[in-house]
Amino acid sequence: MIKVSDPVLIIGAGVAGMTAAVELADSGIKTVLVEKLSTTGGNALNLYKAFPTDDCFYCFEGNRWRPGIRKCFYRSALTEQPNIDLRMNSQVEEITGAAGKFSIKLDIGPQYVDPKKCTMCGLCIEKSKAFSLVSPQCQPQAVSFDPEIEDEGTAVAAEKCPTKAINLEAKGTKITINVSDIIIATGYHEMKPVNVDEYGYGTHPNIITQLELAQILDPLGETKGTLLKPSDGKPAKHVMMVQCVGSRDENYYPYCSKICCVYALKHAAILTQEREGVDVSVVYMDIRTYDRHEKYYRDTREAGVEFVRGRVASIEPQKDDSLAIIVYDSLLDKYLKFSVDLFVLSSALEPSPGSSQIIESLGLKSASGFIGATNPETEVVVGNRIYACGSALGPSEVPESVTQARAVVSKILQNRK
Amino acid sequence: MTETDETTGPPVTLIDAIDMSKLDPKFREKIKSMPNGEALAACFACSTCTAACPTANMWKFKPHQLIRMILLGMREEVLSSNEIWLCLTCYECQERCPQKVRVTDIFFDCKNLAAEEGNIPANVLALAKELLTKGQLYTVTADWEREDMGLEPEVPGLSVEAIKRILKDTRTKKLVGGEE
Amino acid sequence: MVVKSKLPTYNLYIGCSVPVNYPNYEAAMLKVAQAFDMELIYLEDVACCGSPNLRAFDYMGWMTVNARTLAIADKNGYDIVTPCNGCFASLKDVYHHLKHDDETRTKINKTLKKEGLEFKGTAKPRHFVEALYHDIGIDEIKKKITKPLDGVGIAIHYGCHLLRPADVTEFKPEYLQELVEATGASVVEYPLWKQCCGATVLPVDEDLAIRLARDKLKSMKEAGAVFATVVCPACGNQLDLQQLGLKESYGEIYNLPVLVYPQILGLALGMDDEEVGLGMNRVPANPILDHLSD
Repeated sequence: MIKVSDPVLIIGAGVAGMTAAVELADSGIKTVLVEKLSTTGGNALNLYKAFPTDDCFYCFEGNRWRPGIRKCFYRSALTEQPNIDLRMNSQVEEITGAAGKFSIKLDIGPQYVDPKKCTMCGLCIEKSKAFSLVSPQCQPQAVSFDPEIEDEGTAVAAEKCPTKAINLEAKGTKITINVSDIIIATGYHEMKPVNVDEYGYGTHPNIITQLELAQILDPLGETKGTLLKPSDGKPAKHVMMVQCVGSRDENYYPYCSKICCVYALKHAAILTQEREGVDVSVVYMDIRTYDRHEKYYRDTREAGVEFVRGRVASIEPQKDDSLAIIVYDSLLDKYLKFSVDLFVLSSALEPSPGSSQIIESLGLKSASGFIGATNPETEVVVGNRIYACGSALGPSEVPESVTQARAVVSKILQNRK
Repeated sequence: MTETDETTGPPVTLIDAIDMSKLDPKFREKIKSMPNGEALAACFACSTCTAACPTANMWKFKPHQLIRMILLGMREEVLSSNEIWLCLTCYECQERCPQKVRVTDIFFDCKNLAAEEGNIPANVLALAKELLTKGQLYTVTADWEREDMGLEPEVPGLSVEAIKRILKDTRTKKLVGGEE
Repeated sequence: MVVKSKLPTYNLYIGCSVPVNYPNYEAAMLKVAQAFDMELIYLEDVACCGSPNLRAFDYMGWMTVNARTLAIADKNGYDIVTPCNGCFASLKDVYHHLKHDDETRTKINKTLKKEGLEFKGTAKPRHFVEALYHDIGIDEIKKKITKPLDGVGIAIHYGCHLLRPADVTEFKPEYLQELVEATGASVVEYPLWKQCCGATVLPVDEDLAIRLARDKLKSMKEAGAVFATVVCPACGNQLDLQQLGLKESYGEIYNLPVLVYPQILGLALGMDDEEVGLGMNRVPANPILDHLSD
């Protein structure tokens, strides 16, 4: 018999994992939230603004009456909710046992910086390159330490830290915990399209992916939100995006990555409406701004974004760093030649690297590499007391991830009545 | 500046690529500013207009392609095309447009721009001349028909002077020129 | 005078095509109007609407000419009725434009001032059949039918500019359908009912115009129409007169009489064929006459 107090393992502290953790914790259930990186948020942290509200990730409304929206209060809840055991820099090493009493071996990374003590004053960052702030909005609210970078400043930083939050001697540990249920919230990974050689990713600095563009657009990023060419740091004026890079392509991923049309257009909207003198062309096969996101398509057309249905025929780097790109326009049955400063690939969203291992070790179904549902009617149930939510199930937008996380929470609560 | 000319260039099969930098980006704004042109940019090239058109089958540029060409800035090609004059003005395209682009009205705008540049089919120009000189498109040739029906022989109330007067100050006069 | 004030009164804009090519349309309309006590006053000193050709090459000229006509009607304030889809489209479109575009209205009124006129928009442009439908009404029309055209299959050709753009013309197909059915005739549905007759393309491509008329007639005939009705001289020309052209170019004989709606209504009201000018129709209207003499 499962007791209310039996803990639940959540793998991945992105939008879906955080939602599940907070809502379970609020319902009195202990959760262990395992995140392999040093800050929570997953991919959403790197999106700058996220649709459908165009708010920055950490600024989503905290109101519970707005369904499907991330919550600001998750930030503090993750560290302050006593029912959440947040494990950063950590990974699941092994899962054994059966439904109701899984045994989980965790590889807990060393905690060089204690987030409960760190005030993010920035002193250590001044002293050593090994310390960095992933984002002023990062969660837990603490600087990160990279042990790979060794300089003389690290020891000084540790010594001078006003709150004594730094422990350079910290060691990782391995622990085994018992949990009743497992929630897989491992998200997606944006494919690095190095193999799609017709688009030249990796051969020219001004050929980038959408997530890389999002970071350029982020006011907290290196360029402070100014659209600059990676090649020479000069302003980019002519942007071309190409959709379905590796998606809907039997050579890479047969499925539609679903959200790239919307975020590409979100970026096109930011570029044409919030930046000066930038024009955007979008080369596409189909624009799939499903549901209410059609508004992005309509608005960007109004804003003058040039949509070209067709495919890229050739890319020729020019001496001035620009790219001469010829596109076949299938609606016009003509070839169009553009001069482009920044070529942005809407690359396929693939399963997270650990996804296949989880599928294998737990004997789950695979849906093109993502976690497959046992029954299509209950999408979030992927095994006996094993659940998945968010992009672990396949690319999904933020509100959808939240909804799925809540569905998982609901399933778990129902089992404990 | 760009040095595109210095490269070896695209393969021979692609030599006809339209150089976007040589097109007129202001053309779309021009059309948008003309009567009923506002919704132009809403076009997402679904080609409903072409499907609705009873005669596009015979056209070199289909209606959706003409709208695309306007959006791309292919001013010269659009304004010198026969298609804008072959439009029946039956409004089937405009009526079915899912984005409320006023396709037929936009073709009227194109015809006006074409006419301004002197691109006007001879038979249409002849009508312009007819209006300017005779003040009406049709003139009574068989007044006995009217009398048979118990009507006045002359077209009642029609003033040929008024239209001549007005069109003397507008483009019609410019098109017809001195040869009244 | 007391009686007269009860009559619905209209400004009649006859255009140039109806009086020249279709005096029978004009006469039949006047007689039908009289039968329903509609007073039609010929608008004086108005210009040809120029449509849609004038609109194509001289938008401002076209606007001004038609705004002038509307402004003349504004003087007595009575709505304008016209029997021609081309005139209807021009007047209605310009009216719509001027009502919604203050800038153009100011500009146009500046020009009209020189003519001692001002567009106010009080007199609305309407098609004659729409006035019949709304102001007289189907019930009143039915009361006066003495020779119902029971069961005669009529194909309606509305004409593009009567129906579209719908937000401008505000004319619904039901109006004409119910008007035809009020005469006792039955409306024959045919696949190409929306399609253009080809009239507008005559100046630029005559072969195409003939081809379009042919498609239309074929579609009507195959659907079992005994005759067709139109409410526009240009459409009438294409469907009626063009049957002679089709005989020449395609060697096809359709023998489909094409009547303007007031002719049909006139006959159903008991007028004889001469009164509604059936003799001027290019394709003899024998089938309907045979029916009425039965």
